[in-house]
Amino acid sequence: MRLDSDKILKIASLAALALVVVLFGSCSKDNDPEPIPAGYKPTPYTIEIPFGFPTKLNIPEDNPMTVEGIELGRYLFYDGRISGRTHPDSLMSCATCHIQENSFECGINHPVYQGGFTHGITGIPTPHVMLPLVNLIWNHSGFLWNGKIYPENPEAHFRNIEDLVWMGIVAPHEMNSDTNRAKALIQSTPGYPELFEKAFGTPVVTVDRMGKAIAQFIRTFISANSKFDRYMRGEVQLTASELSGYVLFTTEEGADCFHCHGAAGNPLFTTHLYYNNGKDSIFNDPRDRYAVTGDPNDKGAYKATTLRNIELTGPYMHDGRFATLEDVVEFYSHGLVWSPQIDPLMHHIANGGTQLTAQEKANLIAFIKTLRDDEFLSNPAFSKPEKMP
Amino acid sequence: MKYLLIILFIALLFASCKKEEEKTAANPEGKIVFHFLHQVDGQDLDIDTMKYVNAAGNHYLINEIQYFISDVTLHLAGGGSILIDEWKDIHYVDTDIPSTHTWEVYDAIQAGSYEYISFTFGISEEKNHSFMYVNPPESFMFWPEYLGGGYHYMKLNGKWLNEDLFIEPFDFHLGIGQILDTAGQITGFVHNDFEVVLPGSAFTLQSGETIDIDIIMNIENWFQDPNLYDHNIWGGYIMQNQEAMHVACENGWNVFEVGYGL
Repeated sequence: MRLDSDKILKIASLAALALVVVLFGSCSKDNDPEPIPAGYKPTPYTIEIPFGFPTKLNIPEDNPMTVEGIELGRYLFYDGRISGRTHPDSLMSCATCHIQENSFECGINHPVYQGGFTHGITGIPTPHVMLPLVNLIWNHSGFLWNGKIYPENPEAHFRNIEDLVWMGIVAPHEMNSDTNRAKALIQSTPGYPELFEKAFGTPVVTVDRMGKAIAQFIRTFISANSKFDRYMRGEVQLTASELSGYVLFTTEEGADCFHCHGAAGNPLFTTHLYYNNGKDSIFNDPRDRYAVTGDPNDKGAYKATTLRNIELTGPYMHDGRFATLEDVVEFYSHGLVWSPQIDPLMHHIANGGTQLTAQEKANLIAFIKTLRDDEFLSNPAFSKPEKMP
Repeated sequence: MKYLLIILFIALLFASCKKEEEKTAANPEGKIVFHFLHQVDGQDLDIDTMKYVNAAGNHYLINEIQYFISDVTLHLAGGGSILIDEWKDIHYVDTDIPSTHTWEVYDAIQAGSYEYISFTFGISEEKNHSFMYVNPPESFMFWPEYLGGGYHYMKLNGKWLNEDLFIEPFDFHLGIGQILDTAGQITGFVHNDFEVVLPGSAFTLQSGETIDIDIIMNIENWFQDPNLYDHNIWGGYIMQNQEAMHVACENGWNVFEVGYGL
């Protein structure tokens, strides 16, 4: 069989095209295991990054932020039926403990959890006091006091904010429920299948999707408009006491807070890292950082909390041993306890603390209170929806 | 005709790659990969182990080291120099973060013989500006504005056995120092960054070659030569002690050395 020149040209070009397709196609990403349904077009949600804040965000590839996902997450966050129960006395939602007015923490003034010490639906105390849900979109270093939940965790269901949802549902010291009951109840609640359809392209409720939606909502909790933020933007002035407190906050010979808790150069006001800050000399908490890393030097180490809205998030430390900011500052000033595991950044340990005077303590607290963000604490976008499904 | 256009388009795609090769041949270039190592007395650093003794006789351990080097410059044997700055001119190293221990330099480096390598320890005055890093871990290195702003050159954290046989933390932090008046008020700042000339760092880079260069921090040298650095004298924190930082930076001249290959 003879081929004319046109045919040769045609075959050659098709072969070359095929080669190009193979070459470039090999670079394309693997198909998503869960195909996107036709007609599913959620609205992308863009995070506005405040001045000086990190540009790297903790948004998993498999859970992009969408307007519909956040809306669904907001309903679920405030819905006590997520606990899988319907009796009014047994309802429990994320918002039962995570109170917006207290920076999505329990706070010391909670009507049920006296002194800020939470317990589960059956009365079992939570092992540690709460951590606030604020600016977590910038946390890449683990969640909970010991960082047990972290993105690189080989156990895939202990990696991110999404996973805290199922954990909260099943934990005996939280909702003490089971995920089947929870998803069945949400599935049977009129309105929710439609919200899931909008958010994820399917009306089918799964705990995975519940976690994703709530995590999206929590990632919108951005606090960046405190008095200190406005000061940094040149909009307001700090008082003399607050400025003196800021100098103490950011100097080694002062209160030396900044290495662990940030400042203008790290506006998260935390490193999200773990430190033994000199509270004890004997360590027997099975949930400290050592429990995660297995490194004996991590005994008694816990996450440095963010100081944003800290005046509202007592009691303080992992076990809530300090009720007030005054107690905390007094501890760092005069109450440090040496142990072999004490973090090297606690260099005032030889003197038992930073030895602040009464006036210095007052100034330091005055500065710390400039980190309260009233706009965040009352932002209607974060509040309970007026009408639930 | 349309098939001819397709073939022409594909030929152009591949030709664009060939041009790069030709360019390389015309301007022979290679690549450099830096590896950062940390040693005490010639041995790899053993973190959190109280087994080291410095020249002043202090028993000590190292918990972590975080630092910047910048403006790495390759000095040609025949004169002239090349500043590594195409993709980045400041590199952060953190003993806790292995990915920072390797720097695959983006710049294509002119092939040839180089007499020595130099760099700035820390960040130079003209570049050390607050808020230029917003993402961790670099952002965690900020140096408070009240103390001069910008970023720590280095945080070297550890503990030593003090004169009372008490294991005390030390934060050997270097950065911008402060000038104080007699009342203790800050009247000015001192930029303590300094140039490091790596001894024995001559090398030859062939065209198309990638050369691995180890930059080794000999930690014990921070505490000796020309100044004995005694933790019992300087204490656990020095960010507000320009005299201590000056002494430490004077010791920095021979802290780093170079090795080739791995």
